[in-house]
Parts: sequence; structure tokens; C-alpha cells
Amino acid sequence: MTLTAAEPTPRRRTWEAFRRNPLGTGSAAVLILLILVAVCAPLIAPFPEGYGTDTSQPPSGAHWFGTDDIGQDVFAQVVWGTRVSIMVGVSASILAIVIGLLVGVAAAYFRRLDTPLGVLIDLSLSLPVLPLMILVAALAGPSVRTLVVVIALFSWPEVARVVRSQALAIVPLPYVSAARVVGGSATWIIRKHLFPGVIPVVGVSVVLTTSRAVLAEAGLSFLGLGDPNSWSWGAILHKAQMSGSLASAWWTTLFPSFAILLLVVATTLLSVAYNDARNHRTR
Amino acid sequence: MRRTLIAATVAALAVAVAACAPSTPGSGTGTTSNSGAADRLTIGTTADVVNYNPLVGNSRTDSWITNLMYPKLMQMDEAGKRIPYLATEWAYGKGGKTATLKLRDDMKWSDGKPVTAADVVYTIETVDKEKFGVVAGLITAFDKAKAVSPTEIEFTLTRPDGTFLDNIGFWMPIVPKHVFEKAPSVQKFANDSGWVSAGPYKLTKVERGQRYLMERVESFTPKPSVKEIVFRVFPDVNTEVLALRNGEVDVIGNVLPPATAATLKSDAKIKLQQIPSLGWAHLQYNTKRKPLDDVRVRQALAHAVDNEAIRKIALQGFAKSSNGSVLTPSQPGYADSTSKEYGFDPAKAKALLAEAGVTSPTFSMVYDQADPNIAKWAPMVRDSAKQAGITIKLQGLERNTYLAKTLKRDFDIYAGSWAVMDNPPANLGLAFKSGGFINYAQVEDPQLDKLIDKGQRALTPEAAKAPIQEAARIIHDKVYDNVLYVETFNIAHSAKWTNFKPMPSELLSIINPLSLAQVKPAG
Repeated sequence: MTLTAAEPTPRRRTWEAFRRNPLGTGSAAVLILLILVAVCAPLIAPFPEGYGTDTSQPPSGAHWFGTDDIGQDVFAQVVWGTRVSIMVGVSASILAIVIGLLVGVAAAYFRRLDTPLGVLIDLSLSLPVLPLMILVAALAGPSVRTLVVVIALFSWPEVARVVRSQALAIVPLPYVSAARVVGGSATWIIRKHLFPGVIPVVGVSVVLTTSRAVLAEAGLSFLGLGDPNSWSWGAILHKAQMSGSLASAWWTTLFPSFAILLLVVATTLLSVAYNDARNHRTR
Repeated sequence: MRRTLIAATVAALAVAVAACAPSTPGSGTGTTSNSGAADRLTIGTTADVVNYNPLVGNSRTDSWITNLMYPKLMQMDEAGKRIPYLATEWAYGKGGKTATLKLRDDMKWSDGKPVTAADVVYTIETVDKEKFGVVAGLITAFDKAKAVSPTEIEFTLTRPDGTFLDNIGFWMPIVPKHVFEKAPSVQKFANDSGWVSAGPYKLTKVERGQRYLMERVESFTPKPSVKEIVFRVFPDVNTEVLALRNGEVDVIGNVLPPATAATLKSDAKIKLQQIPSLGWAHLQYNTKRKPLDDVRVRQALAHAVDNEAIRKIALQGFAKSSNGSVLTPSQPGYADSTSKEYGFDPAKAKALLAEAGVTSPTFSMVYDQADPNIAKWAPMVRDSAKQAGITIKLQGLERNTYLAKTLKRDFDIYAGSWAVMDNPPANLGLAFKSGGFINYAQVEDPQLDKLIDKGQRALTPEAAKAPIQEAARIIHDKVYDNVLYVETFNIAHSAKWTNFKPMPSELLSIINPLSLAQVKPAG
């Protein structure tokens, strides 16, 4: 059996369209760079700890991003912050997607569960998320794990809603009914027929949920609910605000803010480009 | 697409919020700029008044405003010594079983009635009966009070207590009997309108979240030189500093973070007033937890803290060493010059741990993450301890969680600070006597209890000095408290004003009643 190159697969077509979009490839490059920084943090800068006598120094050759009010290198903080921010973002998003996927698919496939789960999703979507996150994070105590769980707990409904509407379109299709007729179990049908159908929407969700999780992490850390034993972009901003040097030491806030901006814009553009590439009408 | 737009907007907003300070709310400005007339002094604060009842309220803004409305019996000079305010003279009698006070006779409530001994008797009896607020915990020796004349009071005590007069003098605001007695429960009395007060200023207008307007009391002696005092509410210190630079406020009531103080030093339009703290910042080790019950482990921890670096870097030099003693330089009458700080010495710390048979221990350290100074030096404590092979896990907590944990004594190491420790015999009792209200280290040391009792029974500071110094030495040697520094507070005011009367502690600083009664425009 041989494959003919004449008719490219849908996946291949999407990739070709995506590759032609400079916004998409540029964003992907930025994200890969950020991930590289996160992974290689120990090679780029030493872990920021201790204290130095060069306090609140503006950016210079020795300290690219300047130093903070206890003399730590802001560049090292941003580099190590990338690691925690992305780690929290990705973990929270994976957790949220797993929950969202399960709830969404269950709601679409099991008719009887649709109403209660739909209500649960709508209810969760209408909750005042930030105050609740603050409350839970404050009660659970500050740690990276708490942040991941808290953010995931409040991010899954978005995913569940998207997955459910996509899955609802698949369930009535003839091949699903056929699978049911031949005696396929629910889990088998969900695994073999429903998951592959909803994975493309989840793909977009992963990226967007991650960026939202990074923002949520930055927000919580900025409010002082982050893990004091590790660095994240929000934690750097929090320390800058606490030190009262917001107005005088611009470098302590500009660089971490810029890192957040970079990540969020890159993920947003990437998902837009991916959506456009997948959609026949815009291709 | 809508979602991507939202995400992008959120991103842009987050950056905008993070990169610049929030804008100033309201548009009121100080009117001192051109006229030169002392019409209005504007003071910035970061919180609203929570409680107008001076016997209950205890936030800073509460104290600043109610201090101007309800007189205390005494004030404090820069060295922490009590000076007259409503009371002019005070003394103990009958071997410390009685105490007498004489009041000035020229103070009037704003409804025209005089401030008399009856008001003082009413206030202390109410506090004693309903048992609430700070004062209740400080007057355990109180039995009864009698107004001997309109300006004289005699207190009867259940035991000799040399801290009694200083405690009520400094902590107890006097409230008008004829107003407060109408409330069924004074503790629940909100006192949020129609104020009857007696101080240099009276509260006339409240705009919550915005400002509090206070007007001069013409009959107060000495007559206040400024007609109006306005407290304006800001979201945080950063915005207050911008407002001070723009001339929108004349004084920042809150203490400046050290880094901000360092940058404002060079500004010719702003003057920094340095105020000694009456408290201290410290680490306390939970003596009820293993292996912290071993004094050698506590000593090792004390040797693993780089106090000098904390004072120099985290506090930018705005802190004094207290020589490791709980008798700080702000209490010159008690301070012990022979006390020596545990120096930073990782090798010695390691040796002490080895001697105690403890290898690479791990401790958790709780602190209030909203306290800018502690949040800054807590990581320094962790990093210096690492050099001695000690792992400290930081638990920077949200304030209420932190308070709950400290109340339950649920921590290995506690990092915090006392705000006002104005009277060593009384304070050591609260902080180190068995079962003391703020005995966070859970110290139970009979010898220490005995010495503190002796200090409390002494009727003069001179007599209390020896036992209290001895107690402080035990606290130091057994590391019941590891005192890191005594902060020097920086209060910023516009150079257009002069003649403030600074008093120790951030509760009084330069916005105490006597200071605001005498402040005047410069030049």
C-alpha cells in the first residue's frame, strides 16, 4: 500500500496554511523561546537569592534589567519567573482541560447528565472568579501547587462549554450511532469517536487557557498570594509594589510586565492563526 | 474571536495596572500653596475609619482621628516618657495600692460641658465592666475609681502595680459620660454621628473613601494654628507619595517604606521626620515544638540570621540594633548596654546544631505577606540560614490567616514586629509570662515569671529596672525572642510646614494632637 501525495490530509493542509501566516509562526517562535528560557533557566542566570549592596540600580552591563531594593538581579528574577509562570500556566491549563474535557463530553454523550452538568457549567461561569480565587488561595496557604489547583478549578468551565457544544454536534452523527448499534461500550465510543472529534477545539483551548492561567497566576502573586519560595512574574511585580519603588525604579516593573505581555499576546495570536488555518473559509 | 479580544484586553490591562501606579482619586487639593495662610493641612492615609468609638477602634486611621477628638490622660515625649495632657499630675499611694490623678480644668466637650473626673471614672469603669479593647488587658489590677473632686481621681488597686498609671495614661481615651452612658452597651456603640468631643479638632464632615474634615476648636489651649485638618484616603503609599510631590497633601500619615524614604531624601520640597519605633521586629521560635525546645537549636537559629544585612539592605539603614535585647534604645530608662546581639556566624550555628544532635533541620516560618518590611527580609532570613545548613520554608500569609495561625501558635518560626511596647514591665508580662496574651514563643519559665512580677509591682521605673533587665537577659540567653532591629520610621511632610512635635511610634508620630495643635506654615 502506498500513499499518494496528490490529496494532502486535513492536518497537512492546516499546517501549510498556518506556516504561511507570519503572525502565527512569529508567535510560535516567541513561545518556543519563552519555553527554552524556562527550561534552561539554570544555564542563563543563577537563582536569585540572598542580598547585595547594589540596591535599586538601573539597568547596566552588569545587571541587564537593573537590581531591586535588596540588590537582587531583576534579569535573573525574570528568567526564573518565566519558569514558574509557564509551569503554573501549563499545569493549571492541563488540569482545567482534563476536567473540562471529561465534563463536556459526559454532558454531551449522556443525555441524563446534560441538564445538571449544563447548569453546573453555567453556574461556574457566572461565579465572581477573582474574589473566589483570592479567598481559596488565602485559605489554602501560598504554594505553587495551591495556585495550580485554584486556577484550574476556576478555568475548566470555559473548556467544558466549548467541548460540550462540539461534542453535541458529533453525538448524533451516523458513525456514533453505528458504533452504539454494534455494541460498543460508552467509554470505547467516547475514547474512539468523541475525543478525536473534540481534540482540535481543545488544541486552541490549551493555548488560551494557558495564557489566562499565566495572567491569573500573575494577578494572584501580585496580590501577594503567590509562593514566597519561588519567583514568578507576578511575584516580582508584587515585591516592586511592596517596596514602594514603583514610581522611582521603573525597571522592576517594566520587564516582568513585558514578559507577561509577550506571552499573552503570543498565545492569543497563535490561537487566532491556528483557528484561521483550520477554517476553510478564511484559508 | 470575542474571546481573543477579551484575552488581549485583559493582557493590556494587566500590564497597564502593573507598570504604573493607580491614579489619584478625588480632586481636592491643599490650600496652603499660595496664600501662606494656615487654613488647611491635608494628611494622606490609606484606610477609612472603621470605628469612631475610640474605646474599640484600633486601626491607624481610627487612632489618628479619634486621638484628635478624645483626650488621653497623658502623652509621650520623644524619649518615651509620659508627659501631661488631660492629667497634670499623678502618683501612687499606700505602697502602690492606690493611685491618684489630677486633671486640667480648662477642657470642655464640644457641647459646652466640662471634661471632669466623672468622665474618667466612667470610662475606666465601663472598660472594666465590659472587658473590651486593649485597655481591659492592661488594668487587671484595677479595683475601683472615685472622683474626689471634679479634677481629682483616686483609684484603688487589688495589688501594687507600677504599670497602672502609665498604661491608662497612654492607652485609655476619655469619653464623655453624658453621651456614652446612653448606649446600652458601650462596646457595641458605633458613635458614628453627632460627635461630642474634646480635643484640638472636631470632626465635622465625613465622605467615606474620600476625606474626613476636622475643624479647629477655638477654645482649646494652646489654640491650634491651623483652621482645618483634612484626612484624605489614598489606595496605597505610592499614590500618597505622588500626591505629596504634586502638593495635593501636606503630610503622609503612613510610615514610608525604606526604599521610598531613601529616594525622597534628596527632594527639597519634602521634609522627612524621623520617628523612633516603640516596638521591635523579631523572630520567635515555638518552644513547644521539637527540636526548638532545645535552647542550642534556638541559639543556632539566632546565629544564622544576618541582622546587620537586614538593617542595612532591607531597612536601608533606617533601623537601630537593640543589642539583641527586648529593652530597646527607645526605652533609655531600661536599656541594657551590656547585652550583645547573636552575630551572624554560620559555623557556630552548625556547631550548636551538631551539639544538640540535630542535622539539617527544616522549619516553616510564618509572616504577614502584606507587611512590606517583613516580606522583604523574610527571604533574607531563609537565605542566610541556608548557609548554616538550616532549611526555612517561607509561609507569607494573607493577614487573617496569619493572625489565626499565630493565635493558635501554629508555626515553627514566627516573623513579625510589635508596634508599640511602651512600658517594659507590662509588655514583658504580656509577651513572655506563662500564658501571656501575646506569648507567641509559648515561654514557660518560672524564674522569668517571678522577675516580671517583681518588675510590675515596683512603683517607679528605677525600682523596676533591675528585675526587668534580669528578665531581658534571660529572654536573650534562652532566645525566647530574637530581636532583629528597632525601626526608625520616616514620616514625610511638605517643607511648607514646620513646628511638628514628633512622638515615638507610628500611632502618634507627627499627627498626634499636641503636634497638630502647634504645627504652622514655614517662613
